[in-house]
Order: sequence, then structure tokens, then C-alpha cells
Amino acid sequence: HVPPRTERMDVDQDWSSVYPTAASFKPASVPLPIRMGYPVKGGVPPTKEGNLELIKIPNFLHLTPPAIKKHCAALKDFCTEWPSALDSDEKCEQHFPIEIETVDYVSAGTSIRNPKARVVTLSVKLSNLNLDDHAKKKLIKLVGERYCKDTDMLTITTDRCPLRRQNYDYGIHLLTVLYHESWKTEMWESEKTEEDMEEYIWENSCSQKNALDTLLRIKASENVSNVTEEELLASEVVKNYRNSVIALKNEGETENNMAQYKESVKKLLNIQALP
Amino acid sequence: MAAPMAGWALRAMPRICPAPSRALHATPACLKARAARVRVGKGDKAVTYERAHAPHHIAHRKGWLSLHTGNLAGEAGAAERAVEDAFLRRFLAGTFPGVLADAAVLKRRANLLVVCAVLARGLPPAKLCFLTGYAETLLTHFYKCPVRLELQTVPAAVPYKYL
Repeated sequence: HVPPRTERMDVDQDWSSVYPTAASFKPASVPLPIRMGYPVKGGVPPTKEGNLELIKIPNFLHLTPPAIKKHCAALKDFCTEWPSALDSDEKCEQHFPIEIETVDYVSAGTSIRNPKARVVTLSVKLSNLNLDDHAKKKLIKLVGERYCKDTDMLTITTDRCPLRRQNYDYGIHLLTVLYHESWKTEMWESEKTEEDMEEYIWENSCSQKNALDTLLRIKASENVSNVTEEELLASEVVKNYRNSVIALKNEGETENNMAQYKESVKKLLNIQALP
Repeated sequence: MAAPMAGWALRAMPRICPAPSRALHATPACLKARAARVRVGKGDKAVTYERAHAPHHIAHRKGWLSLHTGNLAGEAGAAERAVEDAFLRRFLAGTFPGVLADAAVLKRRANLLVVCAVLARGLPPAKLCFLTGYAETLLTHFYKCPVRLELQTVPAAVPYKYL
């Protein structure tokens, strides 16, 4: 029978031509005296000829360093340099504010398609969009849970279309519609009540009414000449009180906020510090 | 006086034993302790490495004959791959009758199916070439994915042990 090819191989041959692609282990082509398997009692592991264990395992004989160098050299012609103007994350975000995330799935089987690959996630920072105060509040109300306040990121995930290209187009369409709709002011938006407000506004609230009422009554009982509301509003103590109430309502109750509120109330009602 | 009365009452009651079942056992007996094991004999039976080791040696002394991603967490298609494997082994046993020295190893790379088989030298090379081409073309058309046959020939089936 024909002797194996290993007997005619040079030491300095081109190995990438023996194993150009991923292939199973061929004992007549690999000039190494490999043994694999559990030895028989008092024996040695079986040789490589007809050794099924060596065939079962995946081998990387086609990925030696010289072979990989050849792959890189061949691929270099298809590569372009990273644009030198985009050398920091901030610049990338400034020029390309919208980030698209897609996932590709690899598996082994008769079909390479995976329905999970159609999901597209679009994320953009609202500070990069041209929105005024009303438009930003309306946009946040429209998207609901998709907006994260801490990172100022709007994240839209689309998977209702069967293809990734369609889901991407739908995501961009959603962003466009949201942007244009938030700039429009509908007639019924004028019916916005205090419960719909996102943050606490002190002007025209019951806190302002109560404070002014109390101060006017104090002034009246002390028989001071008529002090107008504008003067009261412009006074230091009322401004202090306004700031502390806004801080309490918007940021919640912290040590600082409560202490600030206490000081401002004491100053407002002119109560001397208790020992 | 109540206790002895109760005991006598219990003893007098007829014992209800479950009646012997005469139902038909339609499923075959599952002999798990005899699966994939070659029984020890006189010492004249040559056995390959694959057949000499029992299933509990898989992952310890034996590898897997079929490699695919179907059994990983979150992946689908394990059953389909198993059915394909069963069909492929029967097909190979029929295409190379008496020449297959050992079980075939099936590897799947994306949608490419690589069938690695070890054959004994019973057929002339021309017939072997024809049979590989025939098997590859037929299986490619049947499974609608590329199928590659990588064959190796040995003088005879390599014996590991004599049982």
C-alpha cells in the first residue's frame, strides 16, 4: 500500500498548505507521533492510526501563527484606517449621538437563521437633541419607562418586525415622530394640572399663599403700614423659605434640606433660636 | 374494654391486598446496566477503543461522536440534530457496508456538516471515490446544507482490547 505522506515531508515545509482550512485530524498528514486515549493495563495509549479520539476533538492545525499572518495580510486590503478626527469618546458622541445595538447569533445546524437576531436597540442622549423645556418634558412623558434620568439616555428597543433592517427603520421613524410631536403643543395641553407637573413650582402654590397670608396677618397685628405682596415676595426671608420648600419637594428629605427649612421658617416667623 | 374490642374488630376485617395485575406491558424493558457495553467473553473478540468503554466513561476517557450547539443553554434544535445523526449513521452503514471500521464522527460548523469516518481497506479507490461523491451529493440535497465526507483508511479495524 502507499506509504503515508508524512515520510516525504520536509522539516521546513509550508504547513498552511497541508492544513489550509479547518479539517479533521489526518494521521497520514500530521508528522507527529501523537498517542491519545486511556492505556490498556500495563500498556500505552493507542497510536494515531485509526484513533477516533484524535478525530473527535477540534484541532487548530490550520491556525498556526504563520497561517494567521497570511490571513491578516490578505484581509488588510479590505480594511480602512479609523478616522483620526474621532480619537475620543466625547468626539464620537458629538458626531454620532445615536447608538445602535444589534446581536448576531452563531449556532450549528441546518439553518443559520435565528429569530432573536432581529432585535434592534437605539439609544440617544436627550442633551444631543434640540429640545426646549416644554418639548423635553413632553418627550419624557411620551416615552415613559424608556428614559433613564440618571444617564439622560432614551433607549428604544424594537423587535416587532421580522427583519433587522425593518426594525432599524422603525426605530428611526419612532425617534423622528417623538421629536416632532414633542415640539408641537396641542390644545388640550393647556389643561395641565398641578398633579401632572414633573417638578414643584412655588409660584402660585398653596405654600406661597399660606406664607404670604401669615406674614400679612403678622404685619397687620403689629400695625405696620400696608406692606404689599411684591415687597414681601422680594424680601430675603420669603426667598429663603421659597428655596428651602422647593429643595424639600424636588429632592426629597435630607439632613441638609430639613436643616435649611428649619432655619428659613425660624427667620420667616422671627422666632429666636431656642437654647 | 374498648381497646380489645377494637383489636378484635380489626382482626376480623378481611385484609384488602391489591389484586395481581394482569395488564399488558407494551413498552420494552430499559436495560440501563447493559447499554452500549460489550460483554466480556473468552478473550478472542477484538474490540475498538470506542466500543470497549462503557457510557459512564464519556467525558472521562471518551469524547463525543457528534458535536453541535443544540444542547447548550438557550439554543434550539437538539432534537432535530439527534434525528439527523441517527439517519446519517444508518445511511453510512448502508453506503459502506462491511467497510466501516469504527463509528462515524459528525461535526457541525455553522451549517456545514463534516462526517469523519474510518474505513477498512476493502474497496478499490475508484469505488471509494464514487461512494463519497454519491454520499455527499445525496446528503447535501437532502439536508439543504453543505455536507463534507472526510475519510481515512486503516488496514483493519484497530483493536484496543480483546474481550
